[in-house]
Amino acid sequence: MTTALELQAVCKQYGALKVLSSIDLKVAAGSRTAIVGPSGSGKTTLLRIIAGFEVPDAGRVSLGGQLLADGGAAIPAHKRGIGFVPQDGALFPHLTVADNVGFALPRGMPGRDQRIAELMDMVSLDTAMLKRRPHEISGGQQQRVALARALAQSPRLMLLDEPFSALDTGLRASTRKAVAQLLSSAGITSILVTHDQAEALSFADQVAVMRAGQLVQAGHPSELYLRPRDVETASFLGESIVLPAQLAGGWADCALGRVAVNDAKRSGAAQIMLRPEQLLVTEVPADAGRAAGEPAACFGAVTDTDFGGSVCVLSVRLLRGNGAHALSAQAPDPLAEPLLVRSPALQVPPVGATVRITVSGQAHVFARVAP
Amino acid sequence: MNFPFKSLVSVMALGASLTVMPLASMAQPAQTVTPSADGIVVYNAQHVSLTKAWADAFTKQTGIKVTMRNGGDTELGNQIVQEGASSPADVFLTENSPAIALVDSAGLFAPLSPETLQEVPENFRPGHGRWVGIAARSTVFVYNKSKLFPAQLPKSMLDLAEPAWKGRWAASPSGADFQAIVSALYELKGEAATLSWLQGMKKNAVPYKGNGTVLKAVNAGQVDGGIIYHYYRFGDQARTGENSNNTELHYFRNQDPGAFVSLSGAGVLASSKHAPEAQAFVKWIAGKGGQEILRTGDAYEYAVGVGAKSHSKLVPLAELQAPRVEPSKLNSKKVTDLMTQAGLL
Amino acid sequence: MSAVSIPARSEIAASLVAAPAQKPAPVAPRQRGAGWRLSWVGIAAMLVSLLALLPLGFVLWVGVDTGWETASALIFRPRVGELLVNTALLIILTVPLCTALALALAWLTERSDLPGARTWAWLAVAPLAVPAFVHSYAWMTVAPGLHGLPGAVLVSVIAYFPFLYLPLSAAMRRLDPGMEDTAASLGLGPWAVFFRVVLPQLRLAICGGSLLIGLHLLAEYGLFVMIRFDTFTTAIVDQFQSTYNGPAANMLSGVLVVCCFALLGLESAARGNERYARVGSGAARMPFKRPLGAWSAPCQLLPLATTALALGVPLFTLVRWLVAGGAGVWRLEEMGPALVQTLGLGLAGALLTTLAAVPMAWLSIRSPGRLQRLLEACNYLVGSLPGVVVALALVTVTVRVAMPIYQTAVTVLLAYLLMFLPRALISLRAGIAQAPVELERAARSLGRTPAQALWSITMRLAAPSAAAGAALVGLGITNELTATLMLAPNGTRTLATSFWAYSSEIDYAAAAPYALVMVLLSLPMTWLLYTQSKRSAGR
Repeated sequence: MTTALELQAVCKQYGALKVLSSIDLKVAAGSRTAIVGPSGSGKTTLLRIIAGFEVPDAGRVSLGGQLLADGGAAIPAHKRGIGFVPQDGALFPHLTVADNVGFALPRGMPGRDQRIAELMDMVSLDTAMLKRRPHEISGGQQQRVALARALAQSPRLMLLDEPFSALDTGLRASTRKAVAQLLSSAGITSILVTHDQAEALSFADQVAVMRAGQLVQAGHPSELYLRPRDVETASFLGESIVLPAQLAGGWADCALGRVAVNDAKRSGAAQIMLRPEQLLVTEVPADAGRAAGEPAACFGAVTDTDFGGSVCVLSVRLLRGNGAHALSAQAPDPLAEPLLVRSPALQVPPVGATVRITVSGQAHVFARVAP
Repeated sequence: MNFPFKSLVSVMALGASLTVMPLASMAQPAQTVTPSADGIVVYNAQHVSLTKAWADAFTKQTGIKVTMRNGGDTELGNQIVQEGASSPADVFLTENSPAIALVDSAGLFAPLSPETLQEVPENFRPGHGRWVGIAARSTVFVYNKSKLFPAQLPKSMLDLAEPAWKGRWAASPSGADFQAIVSALYELKGEAATLSWLQGMKKNAVPYKGNGTVLKAVNAGQVDGGIIYHYYRFGDQARTGENSNNTELHYFRNQDPGAFVSLSGAGVLASSKHAPEAQAFVKWIAGKGGQEILRTGDAYEYAVGVGAKSHSKLVPLAELQAPRVEPSKLNSKKVTDLMTQAGLL
Repeated sequence: MSAVSIPARSEIAASLVAAPAQKPAPVAPRQRGAGWRLSWVGIAAMLVSLLALLPLGFVLWVGVDTGWETASALIFRPRVGELLVNTALLIILTVPLCTALALALAWLTERSDLPGARTWAWLAVAPLAVPAFVHSYAWMTVAPGLHGLPGAVLVSVIAYFPFLYLPLSAAMRRLDPGMEDTAASLGLGPWAVFFRVVLPQLRLAICGGSLLIGLHLLAEYGLFVMIRFDTFTTAIVDQFQSTYNGPAANMLSGVLVVCCFALLGLESAARGNERYARVGSGAARMPFKRPLGAWSAPCQLLPLATTALALGVPLFTLVRWLVAGGAGVWRLEEMGPALVQTLGLGLAGALLTTLAAVPMAWLSIRSPGRLQRLLEACNYLVGSLPGVVVALALVTVTVRVAMPIYQTAVTVLLAYLLMFLPRALISLRAGIAQAPVELERAARSLGRTPAQALWSITMRLAAPSAAAGAALVGLGITNELTATLMLAPNGTRTLATSFWAYSSEIDYAAAAPYALVMVLLSLPMTWLLYTQSKRSAGR
């Protein structure tokens, strides 16, 4: 896969504040990348540097082999041919939809109207909308017009700055899917910036997590989800259950009993991570926990249920059983802290019932944290 | 939602009390001119300094208090006409005669006492005896010494409408002074001649606002000359002279309309509640007391009283060869109509 | 919603600097669409609006009364043609120059990294503190030969450009940088971005500011008399001083009113019904300040030159005349009463006008409707008329119909009310809008009586805006010349009329102290305007 965009050691600071510290990123041609992180992580600044609205203090940005920025020098934005879709579209209110879409197209260009109609078609918008003004169409439609506008110049790279955050929840998912499909079928390399992790995971071929100006991890979504580099990344990308454990030969002993892990070589104390979907609860008779049985089994009592439609969240208090370890290293009484477990609504155990918790799949071991 | 009237009323009360104080200091018709028990109210269109000198001297001599309200000829004249019988004015003093003739034609003056009439020669007062002249001013052509030589000066005011004078002279057409001069022209030469002269003026003259401004402009060389009254130059020369040192006066003489001598008038209102004092004031101004101030003061207007001499610096009235114009006949309304027709107003 | 009211002279300006149009506060269901019910407030508002229509009605009535023949003779004559040409040329030359100057200054102070931008911004607004006729008084001193159209255009641009600068700088501050970024990404260089994306966003501000300047040009008297340039207003005053309220003056007044309406219509057409607020939600980022680099020093020249001409010349003139006049020109026994009378008129006028604006402001926020909008439009329409028209109307009406108030302070205050009502109205509306009815209801649910709730919540929240509006009306009254000249009882001398009396006699030195006091009185108001303008953009 050819590399379209490459960032090397890009740094940016405003006064004393280091907004970006040595960012390295490669984006393959035709792929979709999502840059995700909490507010203040510097992701928008990174996007603006790629777009050319800001100049990096150090580092290089190159697109398709062409050097766009190097240290303090940069090619200005209007010469880069990079499409940009800002938050809520920023359509020009004094122009019609048609003029907006055709903004980048030269006035006297032959077949201009045709091209505009084509673009509207690409984003699945009715051409009857062309005569309207931006304030006369809905938010979702505005976003699509903004996309069409950016696509008009057949850009080498598309940058999207939180494009779906202004949309209603219901609209968000469908618009996202449609945009992702459009961009991949057109073969345009695109970078999406968002703070919504679900959006990033579903939209992109490559997800890059940023925190406090640093690029923490970049890779395929499933890679990041199943094998995050550290605890913060894990919790950012979804709900996670992090436990201290003792590792030995591919197994970990933790509060949930004996759990398989994905690192066979490590041994000793470590932190392991489980995703909620890996925990299964089954109701068992009340005295099962006290029976001598599987030494590594894990039992608990349901203390609270939170009905959520199709999925319920149960609070389960672990019962002291064989092989039960502390749930967390810090809690004064580890067994008092409840475990949050998901269960399909059809089989919810009532409050007070005893349940057995089983773990499917492997837990992920976090890399050793350098002291 | 009910409108909160109680609060509004209290706010208004507060506001009213705050405004009563400053309003109390405001000039209202009945207030600054509330005459004291033995005083008179004078509506004064003459130059304030001159009337003040008269009033102060009169009060000193007779003890009668004088309260002045100052304004312009036409303004005050029209105001008196509008106020009618309920006007608080006792005496009306003007700079020119059209305004006082206006008030007279509205029938608002009381006849003046015979003693007053005796103070002023017949040619300086109208025959009906309801007002008298108290001072006079001569029309002059003031010119810039370095721009015009005596041989080039216009022989008659009527010459100024000729094409040769295009852009070379100035006047203040919106002022009552100039309109008085035009009214004399109308009286002397008739409507057609006046209108055509005004139309010539529209083409030729540069309009300014105020005779003093005209003098200044002529002095600065912005125009060659201007039609104003004589005393402006004398007054400026008596001060610093900075607005007139480059100028000279040209008197048209020969009964030319440009030699018109305008009469300042004084009359007593019929509705006056202090008729004796008012009559006394007018008599005093027309008599030795007032005319002496004209001779010795810095107003530089002509004295018109019987046997009164004007300031020594002035060209004597008799030598001016002014045209004979019946002052009560001067029609200001006709003049403004003609000036409007000519496009000057 | 916070709105700023531009002071000295007109009201429409206020809406320029106000935040982009937002939906009015939600109205209680039973009031919405219920038409307009007769209530005390409604009656009060209607009375005020009818009063406001007085000058217009008067002009029409005089036209009818004079008869078509006389009227047409007075209207269709060469002099009127002359005045029309003068007026048209004046507006055609002044407005674009003001726009260019204000645009350049606004861009430099708001969107570039010009050193000392905050100072230059304040200095660009400061010329408003100097009344227009003092500007021309200064220029007559510095360049006595200046007159006619070139002089009028020069002094007008200097005196009135802040009216465009204020809304333009506010609009530039509120521009959405996202739009400019996007335009750049679509291949437009910086200049193209300015003309194709930024300038259209400024259209509303430019239209409103130009209208304001045009109306002021039509209404101004002192400036043009001194610079010897004939306009309708100077001609009307000349006629007035010659014929009092003769038909010629009234006919000129009628033509002037038609010109005003033409301007209003022009602006409305130019503005269209475009929407210029940001489309979409979300907070706009702070706009990007373009670095000037090597151009920084030459760019300083523009604000420097403007300040020198607009502030330096008047200040220099005042100092010169004060020094030349010495201590003798400070005739405190004259100036004292003039100052007191000015302040008295200003205070009384401000209070009266603000109170009169209360019913209409209340209605427009709490129960808007079609009739209410119509009444409000009447107020704004009359507020755009020149003071001379209002004064002329009042003179004739009081003389013929209301003799007791003829030539009294009541008439002058009435004129001020009509002229400055829109100013107070806009501020009050903004103030009441800050206190939606929900807050009062919440207070009542917490145990306050309706009156208490009104006082402690609504009045408190509306008070600063109301005070600002009153202050701006006061400022306008302090500097007002024409209507005061025509209407004030003859003994009244305000600072403006005293200044005028002296400068008419070319006694410039004696006029200088009055000019100085007027400028000093205006400075706080101008500062208020400047800070409100900054605050309205959230900075």
